[in-house]
Amino acid sequence: VYQVFESVAKKYDVMNDSMSLGIHRVWKDILVHKMNPSPGTLLLDVAGGTGDIAFRFINYVRSVRERQLQRRLRHHQNLSWQEIAESYQEDKFKSLGDSQVVVCDINKEMLKAGKQKAQDLGYSEGLSWVLGNAEELPFDDDKFDVYTIAFGIRNVTRIDLALEEAYRVLKPGGRFLCLEFSHVSNPLISRLYDLYSFQVIPVLGEVIAGDWKSYQYLVESIRRFPPQEEFKAMIEDAGFFKVDYQNLSFGIVAIHSGFKL
Amino acid sequence: VRCQLTPPQRPLQTSAVLRRVSDEQKKEPLASSSQQEFDSHPADHQPEQEPQGPRPSYTGQGGQESEDYESEEQLQHRILTAALEFVPEHGWSAEAIAEGAKTLGLSAAAAGMFHGDGSELVLHFVSQCNTKLSELLEQEQKLVQLGKAEKKPTDQFLRDAVEARLRMLIPYIEKWPQALSILLLPHNIPSSLNLLTSMVDDIWHYAGDQSTDFNWYTRRAVLTGVYNTTELVMMQDSSPDFEDTWRFLENRVADAMNMGNTANQVQSTGEAVVQGLMGAAVTVSNAESGWVVRA
Repeated sequence: VYQVFESVAKKYDVMNDSMSLGIHRVWKDILVHKMNPSPGTLLLDVAGGTGDIAFRFINYVRSVRERQLQRRLRHHQNLSWQEIAESYQEDKFKSLGDSQVVVCDINKEMLKAGKQKAQDLGYSEGLSWVLGNAEELPFDDDKFDVYTIAFGIRNVTRIDLALEEAYRVLKPGGRFLCLEFSHVSNPLISRLYDLYSFQVIPVLGEVIAGDWKSYQYLVESIRRFPPQEEFKAMIEDAGFFKVDYQNLSFGIVAIHSGFKL
Repeated sequence: VRCQLTPPQRPLQTSAVLRRVSDEQKKEPLASSSQQEFDSHPADHQPEQEPQGPRPSYTGQGGQESEDYESEEQLQHRILTAALEFVPEHGWSAEAIAEGAKTLGLSAAAAGMFHGDGSELVLHFVSQCNTKLSELLEQEQKLVQLGKAEKKPTDQFLRDAVEARLRMLIPYIEKWPQALSILLLPHNIPSSLNLLTSMVDDIWHYAGDQSTDFNWYTRRAVLTGVYNTTELVMMQDSSPDFEDTWRFLENRVADAMNMGNTANQVQSTGEAVVQGLMGAAVTVSNAESGWVVRA
């Protein structure tokens, strides 16, 4: 698995776009919307290599924070100019409202690519990059508000361990969110999807990234991953409550959510 | 398909969340039917509620342990109750719920368990108010039965009940218009309507009115109308301690009582008319037969 991603790291984003016809962006947007993070949230994005989720999180929190500040200003109608000036200054320093993202990945190359992307796009505050294994996270217990893993968990050898680690590092009340390829139940869509996966994707892999094998592996790993209900049961086994899932694109992708209560 | 025979009852984690249910539970009213109604507000994709968390075993299910831990629903209720304190500042919203969760020692992410629009918070509050009202009326009834208080005449009873119920809105009155609009959202209407009708039924039940001036449907409709209009008036009332609202209420209840008399009058007038018609018909038929005989 490590080698797959070493070679894939640089072209990861391009491949994602071409494989999913750009829809992966929508999927990731939906994930962050579902999360609905409030300023002050501490997010752990595992297997988040190139930072897609992290950047979306930061954007979301920033806009929520802006709205909050606007609302607060509207209510402060009787302040003196001095007080207003002070509140502007103080809020400038907290445009993220203390929210933070820790991006954790097992692969150095992916992290490097992510850091570079962050620099290019201008994301500086609230981001950290940590090398780590999802089955054995280098973090203390009860630390994070939200744990996300987008298109990463199917690459983990022992999924149950990863789920247990997720449970461990989350605060009480914290949320587990997983965005992953899943099972299509509609037979027609299923046939089309299979066709696309096995015929088109490896070809794209060869053409764009010069790597047929890795993308063949990708498609196969998708097929091997447990379907929605089974994965839900696994999440419950790890100790999460109120576990449910939302199918996106007919089940090609699903978001599973659970809470540590 | 999971075949777990005895899932060891999974208690909700950590001391921050988990609570000895025994003490608190006695005070919390057993979920009234209206509460149950909106509790099974399904997460859209859950096929059905799996009994995952241990249920409070009122039926003495398991050993000692199962009685001591609370279920997900109870925790959700606690979060919503805690969230109420933040409504004046944040409105009926996910933010208020997040703040509520934080006071219980939970991460703000726990607010993700609820709808993003604050629906559950409003419904929870309304249900709580209704329960409080029932308890109040129950206590009053007991006093009357014990002879310690006089039985109020119907109109007084209705006025007091509606006033007591509306007064519960006072701490949240600024954000109440927002709550009303949430209650009117299509996906909330079944629940909110249900809560409203059961409250109205409750009030009539304790009013113990046995008169036959109204029939059951009319009574319900009349009181619902009185309640709703008074509520709306209250939204815009700026008089000290809402005296204008209570006066409006008094007038509406008086109207409602008079309506009963009008209905009676209409009925007797109707009867008179019918009798008149009958009489005319008989006369005509007699006259006709008279004609025939003559001819």
